[in-house]
Amino acid sequence: MIDRQDFWNPFLETLPREKLVEIELKNFRRYMRYAKDHSEFYRKTLAGVEPDDIRNREDLKSLPLTDKEDLRLAQEGKGTTIYGDLLGVDPKEVSDFRQTSGTTGKPVYVPESYESWQWRVEIWCHILWMAGFRETDRVFIPFGYNVYVAFWEGHYAAQKLGCDVVPGGALDTIGRINKMMEIGATALLNTPTYGLHMAEAAKKMGKDPKEIGIQRMVCAGEPLPHATRSMLEDAWGAEVYDHIGGTEPCAWAAMCSERNGLHIMEPFFLVEILDMETLSKEVEEGELGIAVVTPLGRHSFPLIRFNTKDVVRRGTDGCPCGRTSMMISEVTGRADDLRKIRGVLFTPVSVEEVLRKEFPTVSEYEIIVRKKGIMDEITLKVEPREEMGSDAMATLLAGITERLKIKTNLRFNIQPVRPGELPRYTLKSKRFKDLREGQSDGK
Amino acid sequence: MENEVVDNQMRLLKDMKGKIEEIERLVLELKDLGRGMPVVEKNAQSILSFTHVLRFGISDLAEV
Repeated sequence: MIDRQDFWNPFLETLPREKLVEIELKNFRRYMRYAKDHSEFYRKTLAGVEPDDIRNREDLKSLPLTDKEDLRLAQEGKGTTIYGDLLGVDPKEVSDFRQTSGTTGKPVYVPESYESWQWRVEIWCHILWMAGFRETDRVFIPFGYNVYVAFWEGHYAAQKLGCDVVPGGALDTIGRINKMMEIGATALLNTPTYGLHMAEAAKKMGKDPKEIGIQRMVCAGEPLPHATRSMLEDAWGAEVYDHIGGTEPCAWAAMCSERNGLHIMEPFFLVEILDMETLSKEVEEGELGIAVVTPLGRHSFPLIRFNTKDVVRRGTDGCPCGRTSMMISEVTGRADDLRKIRGVLFTPVSVEEVLRKEFPTVSEYEIIVRKKGIMDEITLKVEPREEMGSDAMATLLAGITERLKIKTNLRFNIQPVRPGELPRYTLKSKRFKDLREGQSDGK
Repeated sequence: MENEVVDNQMRLLKDMKGKIEEIERLVLELKDLGRGMPVVEKNAQSILSFTHVLRFGISDLAEV
């Protein structure tokens, strides 16, 4: 039995799929018209093709993809503002400056008008509502948000829901834990890494994180493999929810209370999951593909068929929660992070899965790939939670070596480090370093 | 029975769409009346940002 109170928008979230598809295509044509009329970048990129040419999803393939490098080039020395050819509104309408994290190169500046910002916040209202956030929640956000978008979105969406929002930016980790207990926080917005770090810090303070009272947590900023989500749930005694998105397109899919896959936020977005080799055809249910996303209501920063480079597995449509949107069953990482190492396709998330699921004594890790002669060498630094005796350490390293060999088909050079030696990250973690490019042979 | 539910939902969506359009029209009139007064212009513009969101969630659904 569907309860309308379970939905932020019961009409939209339970609409028959064919209706969702119809609305998306209609919105796509409207948005494409807007982009061609208001964005210098799309005036050039989409010259010669008109919105009415797009009659079905197959027709979308006639339009070019946009990727991050296109956005960078469209900002460098272009236009009359720092946003280059990408701005879609009068510069006087820009109310918020955001930028991408710069993980894969020079950051892209992203302008928000008040209208576009409210559109983004609305998406996050859906995310938080699905995760069970309600008026009675006191939401703690343990970060200074700076120019990065996710926690700003979460902040304003929680506020719109009527939650009591507490920004915890100016405190250190101990101060944040104390503040959460002092005010009775019930919900957290967090990165997975920092969620684990805070739980560890609370234990060192003699506090059981489960007793702090956090009931639900939405994670942002990093991939959240199933094993890491389970670890967070065990540590905090809370429900942990994942979502996927980015600064450019906004958050575009999130978990419902079933916590079994992610719902695409239709019809706010038109999402295509395309085959990884050619990016030319949509994958079938159960297959991996790259997500290509068009946000259909953001005017300040028009974006058509944005190649997110997120590698996701297309799920089975339909969910016991009653939502009818297209599903993603798994986010496996980023195409940027997919590497060929000794001829084997490797993604760092596979290491995280093994360590978090099977080796709970490991607190932190770092993967470094180098060239040694003509060979690739992959090193895994492993940091235990506490000092370990040499026998216990040898057993741990042997176990990790064996499991990673089976999981990845690669032999790792595993190096133990002392507790606390590896860096702790609050926002995006940088646990994978591929140093092969630019490295001279023989090093 | 099922058709009746769908009809009722469509009627409700269309009623809400009408109200959203009415709000937009009234806010644009207010903005025009208050031209040159930041308190009116800026707050009216903010209201229009919210009707933009409602058009997505409600009005668009009433058209299919």
